[in-house]
Amino acid sequence: MIKNIATNVSGQKKILSKNMGRASTLCILCRGTKLLCGKERCPVLVRFYSKSRIEPLINKLRLHGSSPPSVFIGRIGYPYVAIGPLIPPYLGDTSIIDTPELWLNKSIDEIVDFRSQLVRGKHRVKITDVETTDRIIEYTRELALAEKPVYTEAIFEKKPYGKIVFYDEVQPHGPSAPIKKIYIGNPKYDQKIEKAFYDTDLKAKDAILELYRKGVRISKIQRAFSVGAFGTKKHRRFVPTRWSITAVDSTIGEKLMEKTREHPWINEYRVYNLNQFDNRWIILMIPGEWQYELIEAWYPNTTWNPYGTSISIFNSYEFYNGRTTYAEIGGCYYAARLAVNETLNKEKRQAGVVVMREAHPGYIMPIGVWNVRESIRKALQHPYKKFDTIKDTLTYVSKKMDIPLQRWIKNSAILKKHLYQKKIEDFQKKIEENYDDQTS
Amino acid sequence: MFSAKVKSDVIKGIIDVTSPLVNEAKFNISPKGISLRAVDPAHVAMVDLEVKNKAFEEYKADEMELGIDLDKLSSIMKLASAGDMVSLEYDEDTNRLIIKIGNLVRRMGLIDTAGMPDSKMPNLDLPAKAVIKASELTQGVRASEAVSDHLALTIDKESFELYAEGDTDTVNLRLPKDLLLELSSPGKYKSLFSIDYFSNMIKPVKGDDPVTILLGNDNPVRVDFDIADKKGHVTYLLAPRIESE
Repeated sequence: MIKNIATNVSGQKKILSKNMGRASTLCILCRGTKLLCGKERCPVLVRFYSKSRIEPLINKLRLHGSSPPSVFIGRIGYPYVAIGPLIPPYLGDTSIIDTPELWLNKSIDEIVDFRSQLVRGKHRVKITDVETTDRIIEYTRELALAEKPVYTEAIFEKKPYGKIVFYDEVQPHGPSAPIKKIYIGNPKYDQKIEKAFYDTDLKAKDAILELYRKGVRISKIQRAFSVGAFGTKKHRRFVPTRWSITAVDSTIGEKLMEKTREHPWINEYRVYNLNQFDNRWIILMIPGEWQYELIEAWYPNTTWNPYGTSISIFNSYEFYNGRTTYAEIGGCYYAARLAVNETLNKEKRQAGVVVMREAHPGYIMPIGVWNVRESIRKALQHPYKKFDTIKDTLTYVSKKMDIPLQRWIKNSAILKKHLYQKKIEDFQKKIEENYDDQTS
Repeated sequence: MFSAKVKSDVIKGIIDVTSPLVNEAKFNISPKGISLRAVDPAHVAMVDLEVKNKAFEEYKADEMELGIDLDKLSSIMKLASAGDMVSLEYDEDTNRLIIKIGNLVRRMGLIDTAGMPDSKMPNLDLPAKAVIKASELTQGVRASEAVSDHLALTIDKESFELYAEGDTDTVNLRLPKDLLLELSSPGKYKSLFSIDYFSNMIKPVKGDDPVTILLGNDNPVRVDFDIADKKGHVTYLLAPRIESE
């Protein structure tokens, strides 16, 4: 995979000018973040902006509403980033707007609709400025720690610029504007999160793991993590929302993986499947040691394959010992890894896991990594199909997926390994009768 | 009982050989020396290691087993410089290994060996043999890593060959008989192997040191070399990839 990326990046100009079709691979690797195409703004995202003619929600400098609660930490300009609350223009129980764990039964349109009403207030700070008397910093943090929606009022320096913003890994939000002044009601903190916040000797990693163990939702942990609410005192800092999501997914996943590796293997091949937002998911479990792979197939005209004429397939994987480099396909790799380890840990079982995703044309907008995490969690709650051999397993998979089996195998490190790599015991059985121990 | 004194490099050598495959290992201690046999979690590779008592400056032992967390041992050994003398002693009362490096005393808890299986070394028919300088082999493997995840090893009557093929690039290392330390083969033998595993197996041998490779057709490869100033020996087995239905 790495070598593919290298050639694509170095050859990008040629690819773009000669053949727009090939550019599709760039978009999947970039997803609007790295601007690999060399353009100033991501054309894919711009296309969405122009499509989504969201009327300016508010045509005034003052906005009040119940923040779900929700905050956003930008990443542009790091280590000087724009922080601030996300505020909808109305009052009431708005908590659903920032609880992606509850969105699976909504349609993409609904999600985009309620997210687009969130106005993002921006206030540029240095990431280490978590402890100051700056009111905007203080209120932003308080919102992130709050348990329930909080009355929030903001006065902007200029009118919010009216558009909906999509990201690959983060949930979309609406127009944004620099904050001049902000006022919030008296928030009630989530008790468990509050405890971690006041513990300035507790490492951020341990705070994440402890809260997760106590059953706090991932989205809540991530929100508090992003405002620098965890960690030993001098290490606290703001973390861009995008990074904080993967940081939390990856930290919890790593911990669960440690345990997964110690559990006994499952006894059968398993296939779980789910269709969600026109994404087809297959989770294939192999009786054997822990290893994991996420393979994504993007159809032409889906979010990250807008110009392509053919399906683009990408994968990232790790064998038993894990990986040390960031996954090529990004945050969704870690979100899915967390979800499969949750199930294996609950059952106290170990398995090799291959997650396959077919993103069909109905998946037109990036709605965030939560989609991957929650879809897989949901898929794993359904009963699975059981098989004795890998051959039967793959035959079943090929019935559920459109892409031919051979193409999946060709793009899968783990399936290839499982099909082609022999084991030591394959050669032990053969010779059992004339077994001769060669060592002294 | 077990009590020994040894140069830190010998222990580091043992860690280099075993830790790429397993995190925990059962060491068999006997009056003759230390030995270990283990299979990696994926059951793809096996390591068989033997270090004779002669490799130690002082050595006293009865028959026993030591269950060792290799990551832990490795981090302890990072405290020792090259050439440092390390003393090892088994403390029966607390089931710990007492490791002394200079004035530092480190007591390391041991792992229960009851759950660790004894692996059997399969008796394989591997007719082709080549003895190669480690540096030559390392160069070929490093080149292959850049183009593919598996490589083919071939030994015939005239030469040893390493070949890797990626989507666009290939790597070929062919060593005729006169560039090898030894070659004997009744015919042509070829098998495919994972580069990840193979590269870990030859990493512990350096420079002009000889590496012995035994090969068959679609059979595991056996890699042999000496450690601890030829007072220790390592055998690896790596199961092949077979790319047919």
